[in-house]
Amino acid sequence: MKADDPAALDVMRRSMVARIATLSRNGRPSINPLYFVYLNGHIWLGTVDWTLAARNVKADPRVSVLFEVEQDPSDQRVLRIRGRASVRTDQKAQRSYNLRAARKYFLTPGGIRNGLSHIRQLPTMHNYHAQAAEKGQPCVIEVTPEQAEFLNDDQRG
Amino acid sequence: MKRVTRNIDPGCARDLLERVPRACIAFASDHGPQAQPIVLVWHDGRYLAGIPEDADRRPGSGHEVVLLIDEGVHFFDLRAIYIRGRVKPAEAPGGAPVGRTWFEVVPLKTVAWDYGTLREVRDES
Repeated sequence: MKADDPAALDVMRRSMVARIATLSRNGRPSINPLYFVYLNGHIWLGTVDWTLAARNVKADPRVSVLFEVEQDPSDQRVLRIRGRASVRTDQKAQRSYNLRAARKYFLTPGGIRNGLSHIRQLPTMHNYHAQAAEKGQPCVIEVTPEQAEFLNDDQRG
Repeated sequence: MKRVTRNIDPGCARDLLERVPRACIAFASDHGPQAQPIVLVWHDGRYLAGIPEDADRRPGSGHEVVLLIDEGVHFFDLRAIYIRGRVKPAEAPGGAPVGRTWFEVVPLKTVAWDYGTLREVRDES
């Protein structure tokens, strides 16, 4: 199945957290939950260039990514995408990702409620992101899907 | 000097091992990294991972894997346990779903995080 199959797009549109599996230069695996947006046939995951996910993608572009519809327990589908990824640090990609991620994660009723319920921690969150940016560059892991598959009920966790 | 951390003592995320909101593993295969949802049973401190018998790929005995148990979608609700370890074959735990091959993940390193606890700590690095 192609990643632009309507059913695959439906899951990606409704999924909130992607879990991206990568390999290090030495072939050691890792898997990390990251926020993402789907844009023009690519999956963009937001992170910082010193994270394991970003460093691994630079060493080996092959990735395997899982998506679920977390906010709808009646939807039991799990989508797995295989593809190749690159790390983008250009400002155009960064701005485009930030805008879409803000709309998806923070400027929604759930996102606003979550922020308000932790209002005292918002300055700490700001400092956390500033600290991450001091250690390296914010980046987008851009995944170009090559293959998509739905895992059967018995393949789910 | 202070820094902000999301990290917590893995013992504080024990509820994730009991409830298992989402669990998956990653391992290396001939075709690159493989992400695979699993059934996780945490029993007597052992991490037992059930992989579907018809999964197209699975880790070999002794191979390194990362086990991720996570939950949440909004920033301050994001929590996870991340366990790097090696797998070895295991018997199916009692009452486990059928149709799965079972492995034990023997931890080498465990970290946990909870964005709801984001806080400043003294930087001792």
